[in-house]
Amino acid sequence: MKEFGEMALLPAGLRDILPPDAAFEARVVERLLAGFTAQGYAQVKPPLIEFEESLLSGAGAAMTAHTFRLMDPVSQRMMGLRADITPQVARIAATRLQNAPRPLRLCYAGQTLRIKGSQLRPERQVGQAGVELIGGASAGADAEVVLVAAEALQAVGVPNLTVDLTLPTLVPALASGLGFADATVRSLVATLDRKDAPAIQAIAGGHAPRFVALMRAAGPARRAMAALQALDLPATAAAERAHLGEVVDLILTAAPDLNLTIDPVEHRGFEYHTGVSFTLFARRVRGELGRGGRYLSGDSESSTGFTLYMDTLLRALPQPIAARRVFVPAGTPRATAARLREEGWVTVAGLDRLADPRREARRQACSHALVDGEIQAVGGTKKEERP
Amino acid sequence: MSSVRERDDRSTPSSQTSESLVLALPKGRILSEVMPLLRRAGIEPEDAFSDPESRALSFATNHPNIRIIRVRSFDVATFVAFGAAQLGIVGNDVLLEFDYPEVYAPVDLGVGRCRLAVAEPAEMVASDDPARWSHVRIATKYPEITRRHFAARGVQAECIKLSGAMELAPQLGLCRRIVDLVSSGATLRANALVEVEHIADITSRLAVNRAALKTFPDEIGWWIERIREAADAA
Repeated sequence: MKEFGEMALLPAGLRDILPPDAAFEARVVERLLAGFTAQGYAQVKPPLIEFEESLLSGAGAAMTAHTFRLMDPVSQRMMGLRADITPQVARIAATRLQNAPRPLRLCYAGQTLRIKGSQLRPERQVGQAGVELIGGASAGADAEVVLVAAEALQAVGVPNLTVDLTLPTLVPALASGLGFADATVRSLVATLDRKDAPAIQAIAGGHAPRFVALMRAAGPARRAMAALQALDLPATAAAERAHLGEVVDLILTAAPDLNLTIDPVEHRGFEYHTGVSFTLFARRVRGELGRGGRYLSGDSESSTGFTLYMDTLLRALPQPIAARRVFVPAGTPRATAARLREEGWVTVAGLDRLADPRREARRQACSHALVDGEIQAVGGTKKEERP
Repeated sequence: MSSVRERDDRSTPSSQTSESLVLALPKGRILSEVMPLLRRAGIEPEDAFSDPESRALSFATNHPNIRIIRVRSFDVATFVAFGAAQLGIVGNDVLLEFDYPEVYAPVDLGVGRCRLAVAEPAEMVASDDPARWSHVRIATKYPEITRRHFAARGVQAECIKLSGAMELAPQLGLCRRIVDLVSSGATLRANALVEVEHIADITSRLAVNRAALKTFPDEIGWWIERIREAADAA
């Protein structure tokens, strides 16, 4: 047999998830899906791998550089292993469900893989759960997906959630309106992403104050919206601002206590978005819990949705409470153990008759043992509670 | 936190609502230029901070919810990117090198002014035609910036990563060109090197962790404004 180290080493960014974390993750995914389903989002399950033309077209193009490819020996065509599930759901909506009435509400959960992790997020396999609202272009649709995301995260117990709204089309609309060339617009957008005021000055020259004002109009939603209203914007950008204002009102009316912020110049990762978009954060948690926003499904249908990242989400959640485990010695009738399970116990059955069931219970990490038909605490295990 | 919304109110966010924040400062030369600015913004570290004998790495300030850590300048960016420090002060040479999406650089402090440049031995300059380059070997502390800079003009840069004394590399035949910070140019001249290409102007920036700004917009926003005012007043 190979050395332990050689056997145990996994490729970078991949890991085994052990007890109790694996069960906890599964339970969280299940609760998220139940929440989405309860609000009318029907679950779909696309395959892990599909042809790269369909996987990487439209909004999927953003994932081109992150997608593992392999050759399909059957069709001799190139396939991609999904790095994101949204393009698959968009494909389903545009093809097999093209005749389903709009707005079409779909949800999903599954694993994704990407070629490379980053220093800040080394994971290459990430579980995702999310919803897509296909074919609803109104402010009501934008507000709904934000609210569904916030409610789902709060329901699974994320403390101190923040939703940061952005409008990735605003800066390009403003810059094009002012007559900047495409290449200049791109570098301006990248500079605003870093909030690098001196570089904005260098690129935008006389128009820099407008972009700096836009950059500083970030913060808690009401205040940011007021700052945005004060700006002089060309017609297309002003229309987008009005739409954003409507979305903010709808969200804050429905969820007045939600920490809602606006950052009108945030753009990185939203290159393929076409309207109101958002990022989900939790206080003191590194990285994003998820993100979402408006995009074109099947190249023509304005849609919105969001994706939650299970790795960050699980970091944001309090440690799971361990289930109460009771050791049931060999020979106990199965009906007795079944009754205990109905009461919420996890039962661990003894396989051989033993003199001291309490000792075996401790060895098997059980908090209790069934001794002479009675449940007794065995001590020596960690804090436990009823599930 | 309502007091924070009034921009003319210079009082700090009240202690009941304030979250504890960490400010990462770079060790070395820049620190003496940065400290007066921080004092103008109302941040005064404990005495141990300026005590050369002190071995401490983390210091209290006059604000009970702000701690200062002192680390190497490249590490300031890393602490801020990971959210281990919510705020930091670092040259944009370091920010450009890492290009962390999680770091914002909203305020130019206008200190630590210098430039990032390509230099080569003076005797090479006359015969050298940069348009003919397809591959260059370069000694630098900034391999990412160097690769990006040369790739943008169609040249492949093979970088030899050094942590200091780049100017020695051409003399000793490690490579012919270097990419380094230049302020007065005296070090280059002393080593018979000439600046041949400008890459970027460098100053120190206030670096802010993205998630921290989003989740504590009032507190962090308040400090950004104070530091911006202090920088503008300089």
